[in-house]
Amino acid sequence: MSRPGRDDAPDRLYTLTGGRSRSGPDSPFDLVTLVVAECEPTPGMQSEHVAILRMTQAPTAVVEIAAELRLPVSITRILLSDLHAAGRVSARHPRKAAVPDPDILEQVLVGLRNL
Amino acid sequence: MTAPARPGDRPALRTLAAVTLPCAVVSALVVGGAVAAAPSSVRAPLGLGASAAAILLCAAVTVAVHAVRTARLTRRRLEAAEAGAGHLAQERARLVEQSRQEQERLREDAGRERARLMAELGREQARLTEEFERERARLAEEFDRDRAILADQRAQETARLTEEAARLRAQLDRATRERAAAVSATANAAGRMQALATGMLADLRAMEERHSDEEVLADLLHLDHRTAQAGRLADSVAVLTGARSGRRWARPIGMESILRGAMGRIAGYQRVRVHSASDTAVAGHAAEGVMHALAELLDNAANFSPPTAEVHVYVEEVPSGVIVSVEDSGLVMGEVQLRRAQQAVSGDVAGLGGLTGTRLGLAVVGRLSVKYGLKVSFRPSARGGTGVLMLIPQDILTGPAPVASPPRPAPADPPRPAEPPATAHATAVEDPAPLPGHGTADRETAEAPAGLPKRRRGRTLAAAERARAGARPAEPRATPPADDAKVRAARFSSFRQAVRATGSGPNDPQDPATDAGAAPPAGGAAPAPAETALDHPSHSHAHPEGDTTP
Repeated sequence: MSRPGRDDAPDRLYTLTGGRSRSGPDSPFDLVTLVVAECEPTPGMQSEHVAILRMTQAPTAVVEIAAELRLPVSITRILLSDLHAAGRVSARHPRKAAVPDPDILEQVLVGLRNL
Repeated sequence: MTAPARPGDRPALRTLAAVTLPCAVVSALVVGGAVAAAPSSVRAPLGLGASAAAILLCAAVTVAVHAVRTARLTRRRLEAAEAGAGHLAQERARLVEQSRQEQERLREDAGRERARLMAELGREQARLTEEFERERARLAEEFDRDRAILADQRAQETARLTEEAARLRAQLDRATRERAAAVSATANAAGRMQALATGMLADLRAMEERHSDEEVLADLLHLDHRTAQAGRLADSVAVLTGARSGRRWARPIGMESILRGAMGRIAGYQRVRVHSASDTAVAGHAAEGVMHALAELLDNAANFSPPTAEVHVYVEEVPSGVIVSVEDSGLVMGEVQLRRAQQAVSGDVAGLGGLTGTRLGLAVVGRLSVKYGLKVSFRPSARGGTGVLMLIPQDILTGPAPVASPPRPAPADPPRPAEPPATAHATAVEDPAPLPGHGTADRETAEAPAGLPKRRRGRTLAAAERARAGARPAEPRATPPADDAKVRAARFSSFRQAVRATGSGPNDPQDPATDAGAAPPAGGAAPAPAETALDHPSHSHAHPEGDTTP
């Protein structure tokens, strides 16, 4: 599972969040919450925050941010919670009706695979 | 020796009066008779003349008497003086005689005394000479005896020392061999421990990405932290034993990552506050050393300050490099401690002799400083504790980090023509990846006019394919190529997987088609992204369903 070069950044995940591993019970972020930046990044910010603010100039889902940052979703949610608490991003929940039926997704998936 | 004047010496006025008065009375009677006998016509002149004559007579008689008396007195004094002079001469003769006798007596005495003293001196001298001779003989004898004893002792001592030296030399040889063996064994073990720690950190990182449960993640992070500290200890031992340093990074590491990497290896990282806006990076070969040295300094600062006090780290760019200052508010180091610490970090102490079991840090910093040309100095901090300044020299810095901090896989970089590295950082962040499900096609065409092919996470294959085909990314694409579709399917599946993992976990087993057809069980054969980066773009916590599509 491990091989040299796999882990190609010296940052450990706990240093990104100051040791926290939970985003708090009232975190507004779940996987599909759309995040929108409310301000421009400022100098001296943590680079992940800068990346999030740049990325979320258009509404972006939490899980995509996590994928883009190559960070676990939980860690991403902590970072987003920090930004949210500082008023730098806002969260928008997608409409419930917009979430398609898993069966349809299944079919779409099969269709996509067959492309 | 004049004799005092006696009362009779000088004629008194009374005695003179006794002469003068009868004379005057007689004269007066004579004058009176003559005047009475004289005729009246000559009485007056006769009276006057006779009176005058009588007065003169009286005066003459008085003077004569006085002169006679004075002469008599003077003769008497002269006689007294002569008698005194004779007496004096006699006295002097007597004294001279007496002094002569005294002198003679003294001379005689002195002669006798001198003779006595000379005799005594002679005796004393003889005695001393004899004593001296005896003493000298005794000393000479004693000296000879001592010399013999000493020579004997020296011979013995020389023999003993020769033997001792031989023994010590043998011991030294053995100790040197043993030390070399021990150091080499320690270095070897440290290297293996480093490898283990590195592997374990990578494993933990992979697990952290695989498990989305917060409880599990918390535990994993805890293990991660512990492992990182163990790894630092192994690194320290490796540095001290002169082994190769732990890791070599293939690319420059940004200052933020350097600081985080250092923080992540110490126990009290939560108390460290970083104030840095620097975007320089440290060259890959030196990054590990700089991180390690910094971690040791941070650990010192955190350990020697109160458990609640913060440690502040400031990064400042200067012409000769970057200065990282670590300020704590703990103990102020004394003069001696400062000097000792300074000496330790200067790397002057080459041996391992000064090490104590608990204080490896500064010696490690010293070794690393020498190796990478770091300059470390201590001073009292304005925060009340100790401040450490570490200068990272310009020759191991590489300017702004070419990669944004969220790491992207280093291999398979498509060529980036005409893109200056200075702007790479900004561009990479400013232009976020197109996101599936949110107008991907629009964003891709919008991105296309920039003319710069960029490899995005999840589009490695597409990028590689495009690069291979030589197709310009700027081409407007009416229909996305099949490769893109495949990739997008993969991304979508990972997205779906993530949603399902938290949202509707129990649904998983109800999906036999997916599981049986595509995904291996999550724990069994997780894909190793480094290996499959080229053809498996999905996030590592997702099932690699995309691979299995025909």
